Amino acid sequence: MSDKGPQRQCRSCDHFRNDAKYLETVFKGLTSLSSGYGSVRSDDGICVRHDRYLSARSSCADFLPVTSHPIAKKL
Amino acid sequence: MANIQVHGGRVEALPLRWRELWLKEDWWAIWLGLGIVLIAYIFFANGSSIRWLAVTPAKWSSFTELEAHFATNYVRYIAQFVAWLAVFTIALTALGHKAREFIPSFVVLYVLSVVIFALGQWDKANTYNLEPPLVALALGLLLSNVVGLPRWLDAGFRVEFYIKTGIVLLGATLPFTLILWAGPVAILQASIVSIVTFLVIYWVGVKLGLDRRLAATLGAGGAVCGVSAAIAISGAVGGKKEDAPIAITVVIIWAIAMIFVLPFVAQYLHLPAGVGGAWIGTSEFADAAGFAAAQTYGNIASSGAVAGSSDQAVFAYTLIKVVGRDVWIGIWAFILAIIATTQWERTETGRKPEAAEIWWRVPKFVFGFLVASLIITLVTTGYSLADFNKSVVPTLVAPIKDLRTWAFIFCFLSIGLTTRFRELAGAGRKPFLAFSAGAVVNVIIGFILSAIVFAAHWETVAR
Repeated sequence: MSDKGPQRQCRSCDHFRNDAKYLETVFKGLTSLSSGYGSVRSDDGICVRHDRYLSARSSCADFLPVTSHPIAKKL
Repeated sequence: MANIQVHGGRVEALPLRWRELWLKEDWWAIWLGLGIVLIAYIFFANGSSIRWLAVTPAKWSSFTELEAHFATNYVRYIAQFVAWLAVFTIALTALGHKAREFIPSFVVLYVLSVVIFALGQWDKANTYNLEPPLVALALGLLLSNVVGLPRWLDAGFRVEFYIKTGIVLLGATLPFTLILWAGPVAILQASIVSIVTFLVIYWVGVKLGLDRRLAATLGAGGAVCGVSAAIAISGAVGGKKEDAPIAITVVIIWAIAMIFVLPFVAQYLHLPAGVGGAWIGTSEFADAAGFAAAQTYGNIASSGAVAGSSDQAVFAYTLIKVVGRDVWIGIWAFILAIIATTQWERTETGRKPEAAEIWWRVPKFVFGFLVASLIITLVTTGYSLADFNKSVVPTLVAPIKDLRTWAFIFCFLSIGLTTRFRELAGAGRKPFLAFSAGAVVNVIIGFILSAIVFAAHWETVAR
């Protein structure tokens, strides 16, 4: 699979969750010795479709544009 | 679509780029730390000092003395509290936290910090091993695991933010010439330990049947900078969702145990302060946990139990851990991303590793630490040693150091207050064994390098 453009990357996918607060909730204990807001995390997040922790620059065949999500449509 | 921003846990469609300057706590630690340094210098250059604001409990031997201190200085404490509250609220609000949740939490944190700081100033504190970092950690663990605290209080317990701010302030108290002199040895020593530790954990993990991505995540957690490295590598190699929590659990257990063990083993072995600090720097996993251990050893040195000064322990630790180990995380992430995408899974994540990843993941607060050191070194270049000690230290360096101590106490207390053992993910026997193998090797090699190979170097650092 070739590298996809920004429009098809996880960062624009409805399955992707990379909000720092969300990650601190899901990764129990993260705030004890680290943080979801640090530079080292870059903009990685969780793919809830595949249960993987991925770079926002990843992509796959299950990409679902975030614009299809009702919250995004309101923006 | 490129401008989509959906919040509430969903997705940030915009690449971070320049927005990192106000969306990452590393940069806010830099703004706060350097801001304090610049303000301190402006006061100093105009014949004044921020000393009034940087109040700390004085040494005391009776409650009467302690009471008198607070009766005399309570306005200074209130002013300092308001100053901390203001700058932290601004920063954390910008990062997306809610001020109404942070403020009451920080009130609790500050009050407890005053109590711990004051206890550490008791003239019998060393006799009973009441080192402020250990007391803060133990009290925090007790409150969060035995007493129980409401979840909303966590808003003010920002371990990483406080330690990063403290490290930037620490830079202002550490001469840049010392970084240049001791930095290469620190980087060499840290690199040897990091590479060996990573390979041991990874090799044992794979031999035990762990997934290679989990083995790499654990390896980075033990070799570089604990939990932060583990989540960075997990993201870089596309780990399973449960990999990071497993690594978090084993790192926390080992790191907290090491805080209580390393300083006293080092004392038992009569290691000089600089040597002990270097050993802790090579053997601890997370910055915050390591600072708690190094500061404890510094306090032990201050009491005269081992040779050297408190600064030597903290400086040696910082050089090894922050300068020598932390900055490698981006390179580790880039290399492992290449291996993951070219060897482990060529099609799953559709991603090409980019060299820019090294920059994206580098812990930026380290630059704040270096810049703070450079600023103070440059502005004090013209002073003789006598003038430096007479006028610069008490009015410029010491107040910054005192504020750094506050930031560290906020951090140490927050470690305990946010660590709820029963809530941690189950790590499993195999990941724990793999990590433990690396931790043991790490401690042994760290000791050999710190106390034998480079002993003369670390013994004389910052003397």
